Amino acid sequence: MTRTAPLILVVDDDPSIRQTLARELAVAGYDVLPAADGVEGRTLFEEWRPDLVITDLAMPRADGHAVIASVRRVDRTPVIVLSVRGEEEDKVRALDLGADDYVTKPFSLRELLARVRTQLRRSGAGAAPEVLRFPGLEIDLARRAVTQEGREVRLTPTELAILELLATHAGRPVTLRQIIAAVWKGAPATTTDTVRVHVGSLRRKLEPDPANPRYIGTEPWVGYRFLAEPDL
Amino acid sequence: MPRPPSSRLLPWIAAPLSVALVTALGRWAGANAPTIGSFYLVAVLGLAAWGGWAVGAAASVAAMLCFNYFFLPPLGTLTIAEPANWVALISFLIGSTFASRLVTTARRQAEEARRRRREVEILYDLSFGLFAVSQRPGVLGEAAARTLRAIGAESGSLFLGGSSEPVSVIGDPSAGQGPEVHLPLEVGGLSVGMLTARGVTAPRAVLEPAGRLLALAVERERLLAESAHLEAMRESDVLKTSLLRAVSHDLRTPLTAMRLEVESLAPHVAGLPEAAARVQGLALEQERLARRIDNLLSLARLEAGVARPHPEPVPPAGLFRAARESLERVLAGRSVEVRVEPRCPDLWTDPSLTLEILVNLLENSVRIAPPDRPVELAASPAPEGVWIEVRDHGPGLPPGVRRLLESPREARRTGESGDSASGGLGLRIAQGLAQANGGALALLDRPGGGTIARLTLPAAPEPEEEA
Repeated sequence: MTRTAPLILVVDDDPSIRQTLARELAVAGYDVLPAADGVEGRTLFEEWRPDLVITDLAMPRADGHAVIASVRRVDRTPVIVLSVRGEEEDKVRALDLGADDYVTKPFSLRELLARVRTQLRRSGAGAAPEVLRFPGLEIDLARRAVTQEGREVRLTPTELAILELLATHAGRPVTLRQIIAAVWKGAPATTTDTVRVHVGSLRRKLEPDPANPRYIGTEPWVGYRFLAEPDL
Repeated sequence: MPRPPSSRLLPWIAAPLSVALVTALGRWAGANAPTIGSFYLVAVLGLAAWGGWAVGAAASVAAMLCFNYFFLPPLGTLTIAEPANWVALISFLIGSTFASRLVTTARRQAEEARRRRREVEILYDLSFGLFAVSQRPGVLGEAAARTLRAIGAESGSLFLGGSSEPVSVIGDPSAGQGPEVHLPLEVGGLSVGMLTARGVTAPRAVLEPAGRLLALAVERERLLAESAHLEAMRESDVLKTSLLRAVSHDLRTPLTAMRLEVESLAPHVAGLPEAAARVQGLALEQERLARRIDNLLSLARLEAGVARPHPEPVPPAGLFRAARESLERVLAGRSVEVRVEPRCPDLWTDPSLTLEILVNLLENSVRIAPPDRPVELAASPAPEGVWIEVRDHGPGLPPGVRRLLESPREARRTGESGDSASGGLGLRIAQGLAQANGGALALLDRPGGGTIARLTLPAAPEPEEEA
């Protein structure tokens, strides 16, 4: 089945949020499938295979975590979570389950639309390029070389692995647990402090102003987000 | 063993009568000396078994005298002609004395064994009874009553801890014979209370172990009550968490819907300046309301102990940027200067909470400061960590606000919040969040006019260089 506009599944138990989101996403040019709870969300996902899923976390009848889990059992469809302030553990759990991004209620429509665009661009990008290019920064994955403003930055293998992970997820949050799993392969003695130490030294080597990062932003409670938009 | 005086006298009266009776019988039957000797012996043993060793000994002497007088020649005198009869007489005296001694000892041991068996029976029944009681919580009175019954007391009272008020009174305290007995209740050398009893009939040796058993029952009761209390506390924590979740959900859902609606209005009023300004005003107020709800819920969570701050290294510059982004609309057209000292370390703090505090302080300053003067955000190393300051050129602090921060109770009592009440709430919340986050908030007068809101937070440990 060919679709012209991307199809977005919106799962939220509150009718006014669901309707407003559906209307505004339609105005922004997307096709929208609204679902009132996790069970309906999973059914619609199986049936329609949307291009992106936006889901609330706290819902009666199968919560957002259940929706993420069933999406991830099938494929890599991007999932954006609508989280609530003060329930940071829920948000981190959702990201660790495979959600790609989150916005915090009450979120702004502008912010949500920006996240939707980032996710759709990424999932449509196809095979990962050999060289990642950002404003002022170039990461050559094949040569394992990093150049910043024309000068070569010498990174340790650990720092390079973290940078590659963050840069290939540019614009998306990466949890500390995901970093430990990908870079340290979940080695038992690795703590979140170990990750912070390596990110600290990575920032000092990479950032023109380490206190005011341009590339590696901190996501409170979660981990890090690569801030720069890739050059196309 | 104590006995009534009459029963103690009885063997002493019976002793001479028995000796006289044996003598009379012997005379009447014309018994020879060896026969009468064994008769006397039987009488002496019987008396000794009944009246104890002293009675036995006295009876032996009396029997010896009668034996000599009435049966050993020359009869009718206390003299003895044949030396063999001397031997018989003396061996009778020694034999009967020893025998009466043996009989008494055996008897005493039998009595002792009986007494001990009774004590053990009492304690066994009591421990059984107390266990049965302990299975139903909150019945210490029943335990005390069973103990009193076991020691045969008619009335008594149970005292717990050092209290002089009895927790339970059993029977009529004025009734009952004899002195009042005080039983200390101790577990592992620590006093847990006292039991008083009147009219105790059980052996003394039982009282102390009975007290120990009751003390165990009391202690067990206390532990049961404690664990019930802990359980209740845990349940109330679960309740608090789910209540806060529900409140948070129910407040934020309409706010989110409102925000989306207001935002979606914006494109429709783009060409109408007056309507656009109103929509902008709505959005501002909606954001302010959302911030207040966030503040109150964060504070409630921290105070209810259902959320703990989650510290991580936070660069001050990043914090300042995030604060300005959160207040984008409020700060529109205002100038904010950011100063981070070059050697200022990162903060070791919960980023979300700290951002919340900073946003409150910045919002407050922007509201009271003159619009044409900049508000400054500054970070500098401090002896206790890092100072994060929001400086303005506003009118300075009304005394009420400072009082509200320093002693909120006092300020509330004297009604000193005055016209700065709204700023006071924001500051109170900021202070509560700061303290819960391991920091401190102070309001200082700025030299040359204005206010400095200073947040003191711990510094993050310096990351070690990778080898």
